[in-house]
Amino acid sequence: MILEFLISAVGLGALYALLTIGVALLFGVLGLMNFAYGEIIMAGAFAMYLFRDQPWLVALLMAIVFAVAVAVVSEVLAFHPLRDADPVTLMIASFAVSLAIQSLARMTVLPRTRGVPPEDFLSHRVDLLGADVSVLDLLTLALCGAMLIAVAWMMGRTSLGIQLRAAAEDFEMASSLGVRANLVIPSAFVIVGVLAAIGSAVLVARQGAVSADMGLQPMLIGVVGAVLGGMSSLKGAALGGFLLGAATALLESLLPTDLIAFRDAFLFSALIAVLVVRPQGLLSGAKVRVS
Amino acid sequence: MKLLRPAIHAVQTPVLLIGLVLLAVLAGVSGDVTIARVATLAVVSVVFVAGLSIFSANSGVMSFGHVAFMAVGAYTTAYLTIPVNLKAALFTNLPGWLSWLVDVHAGFPVALVVSGLAAGVLGVLTSPIVARLSGLQSGIATLALLLIVYNVLNSWTDVTRGSSSMIGIPRNTTVWLAFVVAAVSIALAWGYRSSRSGLQLQASREDYWAAQASGIAVGRHRALSWMLSAFVCGLAGSLYAGYLTSFNVNGFFLSATFAFIVMVVVGGYLSLSGAVIGALAVSALQEVLRRLQDGQLTGGSALPAGIADLVLAAVLLLVLIKAPLGLMGVRELRLLRRGRVQDDALDQVADGVAPDRTAKVGAGG
Repeated sequence: MILEFLISAVGLGALYALLTIGVALLFGVLGLMNFAYGEIIMAGAFAMYLFRDQPWLVALLMAIVFAVAVAVVSEVLAFHPLRDADPVTLMIASFAVSLAIQSLARMTVLPRTRGVPPEDFLSHRVDLLGADVSVLDLLTLALCGAMLIAVAWMMGRTSLGIQLRAAAEDFEMASSLGVRANLVIPSAFVIVGVLAAIGSAVLVARQGAVSADMGLQPMLIGVVGAVLGGMSSLKGAALGGFLLGAATALLESLLPTDLIAFRDAFLFSALIAVLVVRPQGLLSGAKVRVS
Repeated sequence: MKLLRPAIHAVQTPVLLIGLVLLAVLAGVSGDVTIARVATLAVVSVVFVAGLSIFSANSGVMSFGHVAFMAVGAYTTAYLTIPVNLKAALFTNLPGWLSWLVDVHAGFPVALVVSGLAAGVLGVLTSPIVARLSGLQSGIATLALLLIVYNVLNSWTDVTRGSSSMIGIPRNTTVWLAFVVAAVSIALAWGYRSSRSGLQLQASREDYWAAQASGIAVGRHRALSWMLSAFVCGLAGSLYAGYLTSFNVNGFFLSATFAFIVMVVVGGYLSLSGAVIGALAVSALQEVLRRLQDGQLTGGSALPAGIADLVLAAVLLLVLIKAPLGLMGVRELRLLRRGRVQDDALDQVADGVAPDRTAKVGAGG
């Protein structure tokens, strides 16, 4: 029972950490609070729906292709011309991008919610150390955990990762030291696309449905997690997202039933409180980077 | 004439703006039912953006949360004007401490003012937040405010009817009443803009630290303008409810927020004239797009649903890229020009950038 809860809470935490990194990475590199992130997730989820009859791994690959394509196109069309704009302008622009992609999806492929039949292997339950654990929870944990480790490795060990971190720390300084904006920013969008695709695969498996506005909730989770963790470092953001996920799982099992509907209100009140009291985030050092 | 000039300079912008709104009203009353509807809703939008610009035009801080005030205004009007016997049937599960909601009733003028005050109370409660935050932090916090209000309205089914529509509100908003409220809102917004507090806030918009260093209590003025703008947006919500007679909580969420953002950004979110012109222009554009979508203009060949949102988003992106300050920038609408040199100087004063003026204002605060 405890193990079961632990796996589902840690799995949700890992998923939220994944979503949060997608928001925090772009914020760090170019000051963009990306509200179109949800629509990148929606693109991945649509691929999962489109290729639902193919093997699951093929669908996952296609989800990555779709999400990366949407992320890169939004960079080229909307965010590239706004590279020097201030964060609020970028945030408004990302609102517009989000609405544009959503209405495009609604016009063409997703006029209404589509069900995605659950994969057979996901609905099994397995016996793990005496606990009855669903494969879905295990998959969430494994996929998101593997992705987090991959991101941590890339950020820490590769040249691109070090350039990304330098750009997130101080973009001007980094570019004067030879970090090329035209390399770093598009690759940040590609990474965000991949993260979103993995997130969308997990979300589709959990929700069993795809719709044009499905990206709102995961995007908000990413934003809240990033603010809670502080955006000065990706590590802090990931930790913030993880704690948010674990806290959500805890709230859902502890909160009295008639208050569960107000979970978001509690969450966003906490967000405002953090912004007012500790704008640098709960988990980061003294430096303020938001705004 | 010479004596009159300062007076004309002081009031020409609001008079011109009210004249523009009047033109929209006249177009509405001379057209058919649809045109009248579009015109009335456009005038309600003018009330809203005038309220929004009291805060964001003077402080330079964008708010994504003002639709929450509109929602509070609309719900207050619903509680006050739905006939008592219908209310008893609609709200059967009211918690005991709110059971008086069934019995209260007020005429529309009273309901209008009370709605504004109710939104103002929410503004007072939330003002410490905006007083402390700037830029993106403020953007996120105001968005969080919208999400909280939406979540509560959507989930507190016993009191707000949740996701079911609020119905049975008597139609009290006429286009002329909306016009009067719009005129008052524009006058209020202009009055605040020209007031001591408004000028100090504009100084902080141009240079936050210089304003702080000159002794301007930026937080206090932000809070004041926030409360005032909450009140005006509450009025807009009340007019909205009184015109549509039924509304849904989803009408006060992201798509409404987005529509108003398009209005103020296209017009220029640092200027009252920009906000008003943007509201009227975007309302007209929305109606044209709606007709294109229905195929009324192209003789039956309808465009796919959603094209209106797509075009609106494209327009917003284009404006952000090509002219981030919108059509008007920081300018206001004027007919009578001053002498050139004096004009530039006064422009700077109005925008809060002239150093001598900032210093003088600062010393006073």
